[in-house]
Amino acid sequence: MILGKSARIAALAIACTGLAAAGCSSSSSTAAGGSSPSSTTSAASSASSKPTGSVSVAYASSLQFLNEKVVSSAFQGAEGYSFSGQGNSSGTLEAEIAGNEITPNVFEAVGGDNITPLEPKFTSWYVQYAGTSMVLAYNPNSKYASQFKAIASGSEPLSKLFSLLQTPGLKLGRTDPNTDPQGRDFIFMLELAQAYYHLPADTVAKILGTSDFGSASSSEIYAESALDSTLESGQLDAASAFVTQAVEQHLDYIPLPDPINLGNAALASTYKTASVKIKSGTKHGSPQVIDITIIGSPTPAALAFVKYTLSAAGLAEYKTGGFSMITPTVFGSGVPAAISSELGT
Amino acid sequence: MSSAPDTLGVASGGHGGVVPPGASTEAAALPVAGKGSKGSLPRLKTASAWVSVAGALVVWVALLGPVIALLAHLSWRAFWSAVSAPGALDPLLVSVESGLVTLLVLVVVCTPLAYLLARGRLPFPRVWEAGVLCSLLLPPLVIGLLLVFMVGPYTPVGSLIGHFHLTATNTFLALVIAEVYESAPYYVLGAQAAFGSVEPRLEQQASLLGDRPVRVFRRVTLPLAAPGLAMSLAVAWARAMGAFGAVVIIAYHPTGIPLQIFTTLQETGLASALPFALVLLVVALPLPLGAYVWSARAERRRRG
Repeated sequence: MILGKSARIAALAIACTGLAAAGCSSSSSTAAGGSSPSSTTSAASSASSKPTGSVSVAYASSLQFLNEKVVSSAFQGAEGYSFSGQGNSSGTLEAEIAGNEITPNVFEAVGGDNITPLEPKFTSWYVQYAGTSMVLAYNPNSKYASQFKAIASGSEPLSKLFSLLQTPGLKLGRTDPNTDPQGRDFIFMLELAQAYYHLPADTVAKILGTSDFGSASSSEIYAESALDSTLESGQLDAASAFVTQAVEQHLDYIPLPDPINLGNAALASTYKTASVKIKSGTKHGSPQVIDITIIGSPTPAALAFVKYTLSAAGLAEYKTGGFSMITPTVFGSGVPAAISSELGT
Repeated sequence: MSSAPDTLGVASGGHGGVVPPGASTEAAALPVAGKGSKGSLPRLKTASAWVSVAGALVVWVALLGPVIALLAHLSWRAFWSAVSAPGALDPLLVSVESGLVTLLVLVVVCTPLAYLLARGRLPFPRVWEAGVLCSLLLPPLVIGLLLVFMVGPYTPVGSLIGHFHLTATNTFLALVIAEVYESAPYYVLGAQAAFGSVEPRLEQQASLLGDRPVRVFRRVTLPLAAPGLAMSLAVAWARAMGAFGAVVIIAYHPTGIPLQIFTTLQETGLASALPFALVLLVVALPLPLGAYVWSARAERRRRG
């Protein structure tokens, strides 16, 4: 179709109108994002003693089941506030909070190194209160299931697992180390196991099917949302998992010892020896501990949620969910008094 | 067509502006696809015509909103650095190749089904149509989850293709399968409508003149249905190029553009991911746009 001159002018005007509209939406959305700390402040100042309002919690994906299915309803029943949550990888949530793309009241991250970059603008403290660890989930109907079971029960040494995983034809699933912390943790675990059990130097490369550990171009790699479903549908022999996922989803799994499972905060220096080079740089192993903090000025609902999570009832829910219990420890300064008193500090 | 009764107030350059006797003003005011001017601008003579154009403009701009926002938020420097990174355009090639293979599969496999549906040559036609609608209604993510049960390595299909050293998870084959499932219902329903618009009488007359069915299909049905088929293929192409829900489940590797946008978003954030959305638009748009233009011209020619 041939457009006349006036049609072209009209089209240009339309495009300009649209661009202007988009520009307006851009500035308004930025303003909205930027205003979140002050909005939380005003919410805090206008708070009454009556427990109304809601808490918005951004949590690491591994906490999704526990938060949405257990903690949220128990918290609402106990405290009267409503709960809204959103899960994603801790690194993504940190970036979104830093960029004012999301404005949660509470942030629960795997690893404090996802919270410290937000200091001092968004918070100045966090509390470490639970831990998770790496396991290897397996398909109970796999042709290798008897060998997995023997290793899980201890009748076969765990070191055999790493030669079993090299078996040609065995279908192993893991997640992308570039986008998912679990994908990196699985590689760290293999590196730690190779050193701990004095396995041949090419063990990790053989299991991963590549000497470029950080590569996403592997048929072993699945999206986080697809990995467990593919294992559960019987189309994988084994898959990486956190113990909490395995417990929540009733997966069969092989527990791993502390020196390689990234679950013991006291072994941080050991875990740090494992590393993987991904697109965004080199990452090192670290304990898989859960940290909680309040973003912006504390609202009554946010304070109530953190207090509930750190209470005996809240921690018991984490324990049931497969998390390991650690003594809640404060890092940083300026912890709200209500939370300090809950911790008895 | 200044001689035509100008109920709409829009002087039509073609034959389409003629309001049949007895037709209501409201009915005449409805825009009719494929009708109207042959390249000349309609002249807006009345207030109601201006209002209808303004209304259409509001809807059009609103629909374009995401594209406008994309252009408004895109930094050209970020765009260049994103697309010039080593291997940054590999997913583009993967998407284009898998999209073209998907179209080929749809044409070969789904065109006969669409024709049979259109001609009512299948027993219990509503059952067949309901089946196509079911696959249209399933969310792509669910299709992906269910495809794992269908074509996973330990399924009968997976074992069968395993004999040929193929696997339908995390391979190019898996990507094509996911794209076919995401786009096929759109193509089948569109192609069915295209074949349905061809007068069966014309096919019968060609048969009476001695043409064999294949020749009738090639010489009569196909040319008349071609504009509609082209549009159906264009829609299927768009679905295939943008396929994500099923792809992310069974074909995380090799990476096509939608998955590249997803992983880049997770790795380095929005600013690095948006350029690939523009790449997707620029590469995916010419084919459906070409089909649209060709289809409209062919339709005009057909109508004389």
